[in-house]
Parts: sequence; C-alpha cells; structure tokens
Amino acid sequence: MTKRIRSKIARGSGELAILAILAEQPLYGFEISKQIGERTAGALKFTLASLYPLLYDMEKRGWVEGRWQANHAGRDRRYYRLTPAGRRQLAPLRQEWRTFFQALDTLAGVSHA
Amino acid sequence: MPDWNKLVQESLAPYQSPAHREEVVAELAAHFEETYEAARSQGLTEPAALELTLQEVKDWRALSASIHRAKSEEDPMNHRTKSLWLPTLLTLLGASVSLMATQLLGVQPRLVWIQGMGLTLYWPWLAGLPLCGALGAYLSQRAHGPLRARLAAGLSPAVIMLIVMLLILPWGLAIDGFHFLRLVGFGLGLANWVALPGIALLIGALPFLHDPAETGTLRSTT
Repeated sequence: MTKRIRSKIARGSGELAILAILAEQPLYGFEISKQIGERTAGALKFTLASLYPLLYDMEKRGWVEGRWQANHAGRDRRYYRLTPAGRRQLAPLRQEWRTFFQALDTLAGVSHA
Repeated sequence: MPDWNKLVQESLAPYQSPAHREEVVAELAAHFEETYEAARSQGLTEPAALELTLQEVKDWRALSASIHRAKSEEDPMNHRTKSLWLPTLLTLLGASVSLMATQLLGVQPRLVWIQGMGLTLYWPWLAGLPLCGALGAYLSQRAHGPLRARLAAGLSPAVIMLIVMLLILPWGLAIDGFHFLRLVGFGLGLANWVALPGIALLIGALPFLHDPAETGTLRSTT
C-alpha cells in the first residue's frame, strides 16, 4: 500500500472519529484526543500534530465550529461542536467506512483474524 | 513547568498567518499544558513528562505548514503553485535574463581550452547565479515549501539544462555518429551549463534550505 493511500485512510478515519465523538458533546482538542484514545484502547491515537490540522480543516469545511469557553477547571479552551453540515456528513461517512470494512472482510477475513 | 506559550510561539514558523497565529498558539499551548499535567498526574518525573509532551510534535515545520494550509482559503494546487512552480519560474527567468544581459552588455566569455575544446565561461553570470538560487529557495521557503521544493526551485536552471542536454545527446550521436570527442564535448557542456551553474545556485539556496521553525524549540523549554 502506498504512503498516499495510507495517509488518505488515516485522514478519513480521523475525520469519522472526530465527527462521531463530537456528535455526542462539544469537546476541546485535548479531550477529543483523550477520549478517542481511551475509547479505542489506544488503537487510534491523535497527537497534537495530527489532531489540530485536521480540526482546522474540518472547521474550514464547515463541519465543526470552534468557540472559546471556560472548561470545568475555569481555563479557557476552544470547544468544538458539530455544525448541521458536519452532522450531515456523519451518516454517509459511516456508511462509506462500513462498506470499506465489509469489502476488506470479504477479501481478507479481517473480522475473523 | 515550561512556558508553553513561548515554546509554541517560537516553534511555529515565523511566517505563520498573523490572522490566526495568536489563537493557534493559545490552543496548542493549552494542549501541551494538559498533556504535561496528565503525564505528571500519572507519576512521571518532570523530565519524563516533558519528554513525553514534546513527542506530540516531531516536525514543527510540517505542523506549521499543515496548519497554514488548513487555515488558509487556498486549495492544495495553489499551495504547490506558490511553493514550487512560481519560485521555479522566477529563478529560471532570473537566470535567463541575467545571461541575456551579460551577452547584451558585451561581456565576453572567458575561453578555457581543454584538450582542444573550448569552455565558454560567463564569469559575471556565474557570479550572479547565487542570487537566483537564493530567490527561488527563499520564495519556496516563504510559501512553506518542503525541502525538495526549495531545492528544485533554487536549482531549476541547472536541472532544466541537464534535461535539455540529456535529450540532445542521443540526437547528436544518432546524426553524427559516435565520436569520443563528442562525448568529451558533452562532458564539458555538462560542466559548463549544469555543474558550475548548479554549484553557484546551490550556494545561494543553502541559507534557505534549513527549517526556521526548528530553531530554539528545545532550548526554550529548559
């Protein structure tokens, strides 16, 4: 698999992970990466360097919206929430990845590996 | 605890868009701060927590470029145009115009004879080529071009000449047949129009091949 394809898969899965987690509640960057790491038992891990360019790009496309507000400790953090456009992206993205994994499963039996 | 704002401020490329810079710095610094505090709360020593936190970013220049692209309204094609094609075009233009000017001003090339074959060296032109190399590499660096784009832009006149000569060689051999002297002439041509200009261009491009964002990154945390 070429680096380009790997990069596209990583980006696509990152977008879905962020959209899915923000669909539940608004979160700021550190919390997004922490929750994704915890809920996937570390299988998906966002570093600062991988998270923010993706968040800013999704914000540019109008899928998420960032807004500064104080967190539970009273510190200002930039919370991201899904926009209606982002919410509309979630269902087709989920379907796209479901199809992708089903195809991979048919081909390579990954779910039984 | 390190001054995370200062670290991010100094590590992000200085040409990061001023419109978003303050907000991005604050957000990234906050992320660093929480990563460090989380590491400390897990029982890591200060140096270990610091090391773990700094691993969040391995390449500041790449991060800076990614953020710049994500924040700007341009598409990737525009970025490539700005970081590669435009600097390359301007470097080529600069090298061509300066050679034409040298000839129009009546500067005579210095002939160097090697085995009965003459090299026509335009010393004033060669002396000015580092400026062209510097221009191309600088423009590419300013547009967040990666190292290979800065090299390609800075060395483009020599690279183009190399391609042209490699295309011409088979034609010459096919038309005139194989002669040892023709190959010697080709070698001299390579030295004259590719190697020497390439070195001159590289000298000019060198200061712009380093990554400004890397300067002082770790020093500022200690």
